[in-house]
Amino acid sequence: MSSPIRLALAAFIGLLALPAFAQSPTLTIYTYDDFAAEWGPAPGLKSGFEATCGCTVNFVGVDSSIGALRRAQLEGDSTKADIILGLDTSIAEEARQTGLFADHGVDTSALNVPGDWQAADFVPFDYAYFAFVYNKETLPNPPTSFEELIAADADLKIALQDPRSSTPCLGLVLWIKAAYGDRAAEIWEGLAPHILTVAKSWSDAYALLLSGEADMALSYTTSPAYHMIAEEDDRYLAAPFSEGYYLQVEVAGILKSSENQDLARDFLAYLITPEAQGIIPTTNWVYPIADLPDGLPAAFDTLIKPEPVLLLDDKLVDEKSNEWIAEMFEAIQ
Amino acid sequence: MAAHNSTSARTWPSGTIRKAAGALVAMLIVGLTLTIFWNIQHTAVTGSPSVPVDMAHLVRMTALQAGLTTILSLIVGIALAWALNRLRFPGRAFVIGLFAAAIVTPGVVVALGLLQVWGRAGWINALLVPLGFDLGSSIFGLQGILAAHVILDGTFAARILLARLDAIPKIPLKTGQSLNLSPWQRFKVLDWPIMSSALPGLSAIIFLLAFTSFPIVLLLGGGPANQTMEVAIYSAVRLNFDLNGAVQLALVQLVICAAIILPAISFAPSLTSAGNSGGHEWSSGRWMKSCQIIIIALGLFGFALPLIAVLVNGLGPGLMAAITRASFWSAALTSLIVGIASASLALGLTIVLCMARSESANRLTRTLISLPAYAYLVVPAVVMSLGFFLAIRNTGLPMHAAAPVVLIIANALLTLPFALSTLGPTLDTIQRRYRRLGRSLGLSGLARWRLVEWPLLGREIGLVFALGFCFSLGDLGVISMFGTEDFATLPWLMVRAMGAYRTNDAASIAALLLLISLIAFWALPALFGKLSNAQD
Repeated sequence: MSSPIRLALAAFIGLLALPAFAQSPTLTIYTYDDFAAEWGPAPGLKSGFEATCGCTVNFVGVDSSIGALRRAQLEGDSTKADIILGLDTSIAEEARQTGLFADHGVDTSALNVPGDWQAADFVPFDYAYFAFVYNKETLPNPPTSFEELIAADADLKIALQDPRSSTPCLGLVLWIKAAYGDRAAEIWEGLAPHILTVAKSWSDAYALLLSGEADMALSYTTSPAYHMIAEEDDRYLAAPFSEGYYLQVEVAGILKSSENQDLARDFLAYLITPEAQGIIPTTNWVYPIADLPDGLPAAFDTLIKPEPVLLLDDKLVDEKSNEWIAEMFEAIQ
Repeated sequence: MAAHNSTSARTWPSGTIRKAAGALVAMLIVGLTLTIFWNIQHTAVTGSPSVPVDMAHLVRMTALQAGLTTILSLIVGIALAWALNRLRFPGRAFVIGLFAAAIVTPGVVVALGLLQVWGRAGWINALLVPLGFDLGSSIFGLQGILAAHVILDGTFAARILLARLDAIPKIPLKTGQSLNLSPWQRFKVLDWPIMSSALPGLSAIIFLLAFTSFPIVLLLGGGPANQTMEVAIYSAVRLNFDLNGAVQLALVQLVICAAIILPAISFAPSLTSAGNSGGHEWSSGRWMKSCQIIIIALGLFGFALPLIAVLVNGLGPGLMAAITRASFWSAALTSLIVGIASASLALGLTIVLCMARSESANRLTRTLISLPAYAYLVVPAVVMSLGFFLAIRNTGLPMHAAAPVVLIIANALLTLPFALSTLGPTLDTIQRRYRRLGRSLGLSGLARWRLVEWPLLGREIGLVFALGFCFSLGDLGVISMFGTEDFATLPWLMVRAMGAYRTNDAASIAALLLLISLIAFWALPALFGKLSNAQD
């Protein structure tokens, strides 16, 4: 390599490696893209917490919440993350097994967690029910159960996510398991011709619904509220499924490797205050976990009332989820 | 006699230096490869259960996809090359140039263009649905992957094969013409023999490109049924944190790809033919002409339409919004810097390796020197970046400082196989032709480079540089491991924008990526050609 090239290379590398000037202290939170986005909960939570903590909050969006966990695992002790936010109760036990998480020490006993979910290492902060969302103009008669979906025309296409990266599709695997037990593989085989694609994240799959490439996308019963409130668009609805609805509780945990344990605990305590919870419904478009003084926006009253609610035991889920994911892959490939 | 001895004594060291430098580079590459695997293996911890991989299914599906891609691409390539060789029409040079650029068109851009044209909400359906036809969502799955690959690899094959056809000497053509050969006889006697000699190398390259395909499969694959091993490796790492599984998959991929590339290295097609193509006049009959016109029109339709879709969707009103974001400019700057740096590095390594190779007459030495460079056609980009990532982590270096350096090195290594097959044959020819002259003039290594090699190689050097730059510009495999909020390249930003509903931004970035790739691929060889000639 000639020396001018080498010199230029060194200059370039120096330029790229310009360190961000560290101000003390910074709380780094790994989460999924949509949470960290400018329209997501992150900006509101950031300014709300920064007003009291004398710190900087840095939300880092990774493509999915499991992706955020994997990133922290890959980075090991050198990770900048203090908190992983956005895992759910189905993946919590697996996350626990990584040994990366510390106890949070936050009092969560007063929260309205469906199923009274409590853990020493994860703080629950919102919840929702999985559902298939569709456009009522392009799909006037949506299927109302997995079996109807299977029986539908082969050109009815659904967009899913990869259950290994995306908590909603892991939720779907559990949903089908909870509803059909030993018949799950058969249900997956029936669904296979309807699967347009297995996208890597929730937003990739939902984008396919919005662009008209897919008829239905795996999302939440609360997703239509977004379209009604933010876009004044009532075309998007969640399909009522007679099998019931699987519950997702989203959680956040503090990494043992974090040098800001106290600050991280303060943030998690803030996350479940009514003030912070008030941000959740109209940014993350799911249910808050604390009572809001002004209640939920009116559009939430028009949503499906999930009945019955399905939920499998955490321990069982952790033990079996890989086996069930393999069963899904086996059936659809 | 005495004078001759003294000059050969004077030039002797430069050959040795060249050989030694090549050997050193080759050893460094081997060392790097071993480091990569060692670090993954070292970090991998057993215990964490993972989703078991059905290896047999995966290998079967990947091989099937790559095999079909290869066969279809060769058929498309042969048909296009044949038609282009025969037909003269305005804009022919442009079409040929466009096809030549297929090799550097970022896969993720093609996938996006295909979706915009062939998707359910795409252009074709927008035309057909009012007429009562509906193609549905046919672009996801195996057919989508094949379409994207054939668009890229079929046109690439066409360019390589066209160069062969254009190189058929005038005399056999004239003889054939005077014998009044039928079109089929002419193809069988004149075209096929010269094309078929390029097919083994070409097939191997296309098979490997398809076998290790990443962004196209990730976007259009439709799920686990059609994933390639490269995507499976990415999934094992990023979705399961199953490093053992990743290493296992990587080794299987390495063995399969090595078994394919090793016998084919000596046949690897040279990319030297990116320039204009001449050809000979031998008019075909009316029927044949119509045939050729249809083939070229279909080729253009298939290849250019997705690219046009990308440009139309990306260069619209949303462009300003996309390029006024600060994140766009920092990603663009990173992409340019990494692209230039990795192209320079790839060029440097290629020159050193090729020079060492052309210095040695021994077949084994030549193979030993060039073999490591081909390693990166078989080491998956995802594995390479994972290995680098863990190496940095294990040595405790700061990730944010190391990431750009890794990206530069990794992208350069991924370019090496193509760069080597571009520069190698020409340098060998120069060496054969000017070795004696150089010796008798007593040229030192540097003077030989300045007076003989640089002026003759200018265009090819530009081509290698352009390849390195474009490959790096379009890379998604390496950046997928290193990309963060603070460190993004354009393809990375584009995929993130797609996931975050900023489809306008994604479309604009795709259009700009495409434009930059095409311009670089056309302009750089010409620029270097001029620069080197100016030195005479």
